[in-house]
Order: sequence, then structure tokens, then C-alpha cells
Amino acid sequence: MRKKRRTLVKTILLNLIVAILIIYIAGPFVWVISASFQGENELLKKPPSFIPKNPTTDNYRYVFTGQVPTSYEVKGQLRSRISQEARLIAPALKNSFIIAVFVLAINLLFATPAAYAFARLRWKFRAGIYNFILGSRLMPAMAIAIPYYVIIQSLKLMDTKLSLILVDSALTIPFSIWFLTLYITNIPRDLEEAGLVDGCNYFQVLKSIVVPIIIPGLVAASAFAFMTSYNEFLFARFLTTSIASQTGPVVLSSISGNPDASYSLISVCLTLGMIPPIILAITMRKWLTEGLSSTITFR
Amino acid sequence: MSVQPSAQATPRRNSSRFLEKIYPYGSVLPALVIIILFTIYPVIYALRISVYQYILTKPNSHPFIGFKNFHDVITSYYFKNALLNTGIYTIAAVLGVLLFGIAVASLLNMKLRSVNALKIIILLPWAIPAVVAGLMWKWILNSDFGIFNGILYSLGMIKSYIPFLADPVLAKFSLVMAHIWKEGPLATIFILAGLQLIPNELYEAAKIDGGGGFRLFRFVTLPLLRPILLVVLVYETMTAILTFDIIYVLTGGGPGDSTALISWFAYAEIYKFLNLGGGIALSIIIALITLVLIILYMRALKTDTTIY
Repeated sequence: MRKKRRTLVKTILLNLIVAILIIYIAGPFVWVISASFQGENELLKKPPSFIPKNPTTDNYRYVFTGQVPTSYEVKGQLRSRISQEARLIAPALKNSFIIAVFVLAINLLFATPAAYAFARLRWKFRAGIYNFILGSRLMPAMAIAIPYYVIIQSLKLMDTKLSLILVDSALTIPFSIWFLTLYITNIPRDLEEAGLVDGCNYFQVLKSIVVPIIIPGLVAASAFAFMTSYNEFLFARFLTTSIASQTGPVVLSSISGNPDASYSLISVCLTLGMIPPIILAITMRKWLTEGLSSTITFR
Repeated sequence: MSVQPSAQATPRRNSSRFLEKIYPYGSVLPALVIIILFTIYPVIYALRISVYQYILTKPNSHPFIGFKNFHDVITSYYFKNALLNTGIYTIAAVLGVLLFGIAVASLLNMKLRSVNALKIIILLPWAIPAVVAGLMWKWILNSDFGIFNGILYSLGMIKSYIPFLADPVLAKFSLVMAHIWKEGPLATIFILAGLQLIPNELYEAAKIDGGGGFRLFRFVTLPLLRPILLVVLVYETMTAILTFDIIYVLTGGGPGDSTALISWFAYAEIYKFLNLGGGIALSIIIALITLVLIILYMRALKTDTTIY
């Protein structure tokens, strides 16, 4: 009887901890989405209402069409609290998306054959080049940001999407190679050997035998490359100067630096900015978790 | 007669053997070119700049000044304080992330129905840009109309709103808390992967031997988790020392310089003091510090270096 009661207390306690953790983790997301549907005057109340009393889509309409929300006119704050910059978020997120898709494609195209060569083939500089590629990621980003600036300038790629595609590829390919090398090393090689005996060359074996087996790994690697590129801030901040190439994080940081920016509009921008990674994280949860777990447990 | 076919086949086999031989090099070449362009060249360039005077307001004068940039940076007004801040921040953030990771991973490993919801959302903070995470927390902690102040006020826990980001000590706490929120999930996934590798029989055996609760964790889980904890430790130390994005948007290094870490000043040297040479010298110092830490950790790991 006493033991049963103790387990009950324990279960309640554990569930309470889980509930607190859920609030800590999900709370900020719920709040920023809720805030994006509130008018400025409701949002700046003390204390603010967690669930909007008069939910409005005016903020979204302003960001996409430029139509000034009615609540601003009511408060007589028409211009001052509207940040023109908020309207840049849509093109900026489009830039982020385009860059991330190209980075993803370059990763798959370049890292897959390299990973196969590292995992399966025996050649002279294999270990040396592998360690060099992995070691390249140990460089602190801040230390190479200025040289990157100079390289990109001398390539005449300043303020272009191509510059960020190149830089983000260089940042993500080492991880993709490492991840896919581990992945390929850990699949059985009988089928490949059969293929080689049948007279296929390495490329054919890679294309028609290995790639179909490692598709889960390729999906996870793509998601990692996409997210890293989509989320990258430091280099984008250094290498872009206009909306022609500025990415979501760059525009978000400059909107928030504007003291005139409206809290509701920032909430809209934040909500829009996190939609792609959140969709990825939820729909690919299983693959991402397994991929991340495998990087630490595979040997 | 029997020589004939093999003589015919030899040239073909030779060429295909040659292709086979260069195939691996061809496979890694495209990736290698991009990585070399963005690794070796930048490092050489950075090393060169660091011994010249490069001040953006004097664009035409770049005399060789030896190690003066390093000397200036080390003796600057901010260096000691920034190093101290970085040390405090790194220790707090790494410990916080590790404890969070161990606790949450242990919860996720239990047969509890409510943890399924936690499993679905745990990756979300990791997935979003650090800039977005920083801005979310900035508004939540706002001293005039932040929801966190609002909740504490409504619950009667505070009498007036607290300026979380305007107080040097509270700003540090806020930053570490946001950092744990962002980085904790990845550590959790790693540690959970480690927990799931521990065979159940070990726990059964330990239970028969009279172990329970904390003793089980201390003498079974922790030793077996050690290799993975060390990897997480290395990764999280690097992440914490080099934190930039979240500080940039959440506190901007303030109030005063109370949350300005060493990498923040590398940025400030370049963008605020317009001293390229100084910024790069500081970056090289940061790189050396992380390198030394990694080597120390690797010694402790004593396993392969395939972590990165």
C-alpha cells in the first residue's frame, strides 16, 4: 500500500516536471505566435493578455500588402511605430530559402560521392584528406569572417546570393561528408560487392546500389544542410548589404535594432521566419533524431 | 592461343584500372576545392593581416607592425574583463546544458505517457535561427511589457516589473537561460542516444545487487555515459565560447560590457573601432584558446577524433 502511494506521488511529480519543461520549451513559440495576432495597444498592456482578446490579422496584412493596421490610427501613432523594414521580411525569407535550397543540393551532389570514397574505397591520402575536411570545421567562425569578406570582395560577389551559397556550402559540406561516411560505413556491403563482381564500376555501384539504401541518411543530411544555411547569421551579416541578398536572420536583427519597430510586427516577422525550420523539425523529427543520435553512437 | 584474349583485354583493363585509381580523388575534389578556398586561404590571409596595421579610417597606410596588434588587444581596456565574462558564461552555459540534457534525456527515457508531447517539441529550439531565439527572449524579458514580467506580476510574485536585461547580473542569467533553451535540446538528443545504448540487463543486475535511484545513476549510468558526455562537453564548450548571434540580438553586449564575450569584441574591433588588424589578432587568440581546450579534451577522450 505504502509503496503504491509512493509510486503515485512519484508519477505526479514527474508529470509536473514534464509539464514545466513543456511550458519552458514551447511557451516562447506560443507567445510569439499569439503576439503576432494582437494589436499594439493590447500587446503593450500591463500585464499583457496571453490569449488575444481581439485577434487580428492586420499585422500580417501590413507586412504583406503595406496596408496600415487600423489600431495604429486609433492610437494616433500612425507612422512612428510602424517599421517600414518589417515589410522586407518576405523577400529576405525568400532569399534565405533560395540560398538554403542551393546549399542543400550542393551538399548532396558533392558530399555523397566523397563520403562513398571515404567509407568504402582504399586510396592513398584518404585519412589525411578526411581529417583535414573534418578539422576545417574547428575554425571559429569569427576568425575567418574578415578573410571571407576579402575573398568574396575579390571574387566580385559582394551582396549576392551566390556568395552565401558558397560560404554556407563550405560550412555544411564537412558535416555532411562526416555524417554520410558514418552512415555508409554502417550499412552491410554484400550488395555492393555483388555489383562490383558483376562488372559495375564504382560510380554505378554508388548510384544504383548505395544511394537507394542510404536515402534516410541523405534526407537527414539535407535537412541539416538546409537548416544550417537558413539559420546562419554571422557571415550573412558580414557579406550582405541590401535586400538583394540579405537573409531572414539579418533583416530580423536589423528590424529589432530599430527603436521605432512595432512589437506586433516583429512578432509577425519572427513567426514567419521560424515556419520553415519548424515544419522541417516536426515532419522529419524521426529522421533528424535518428541522424543526430547516429553521429554520436556510430563508430 | 590462350594468350590471345588476355593480350586483347589488357589495354581495356589498364584504362579501367586507371579510372578506378583516380575515381576516389575525383569524388572528393569538388568538395575539397570549396573547403580549401574557404579554409586554407582565409587562415593564411588572417595570419598575414594580423601583423600589419589595418585601420579602416587609414585605408592607404598598412605598415608592418609585428605583434603590436596582439599586444594592443591583450593590453586593451576590455580584454581581461571579456575573458572573465567568457569564462563565467562558458562554465555556466556548459554546466546548464549538460544538466538540462541529462535530466531531460532521463525523463524521455522513462515509460511516462506525458513525455511523448515533450519528444515532439524538444527539437524546436534547436531548429530555429539563434537570431529568432534571441529576439523571442528579448521581448519575453522586456522590462516594460514583457510577458514574463506580466506573468510574475499577475501571480503576485513581484510588485513591479523587473528590468531583466538592464541589470548586469540578471542580464547574464537571462543570456545563459536563453542559451540553455537553444542548445539544451541537441545535448538531450545526444545523451538520450547514449542512454538507449545501455543494456537493460545491467540495471536489472545492479538492482539485484541492491542499487537504487541515485546509486544506480551514479554507478551504472554515469560511467557508461562518459564517452558521450565528453563529446557533448567538447561541442558545447566550443559553442559557448563562440556565442555571438544570441548576444548580438538579446543584449548587444550590454548593459555596459557586462555580457560582452571575447568574440563580441572581435566584432567590435572591426565594426565599431574599425581596426581590422586588431579584430583579426583577437580572432586568432580566440582560435588558439579553443584549440588548446579541444586538445585538452581530446587527451581526456583518448579515443578517435571523428567527433567533428
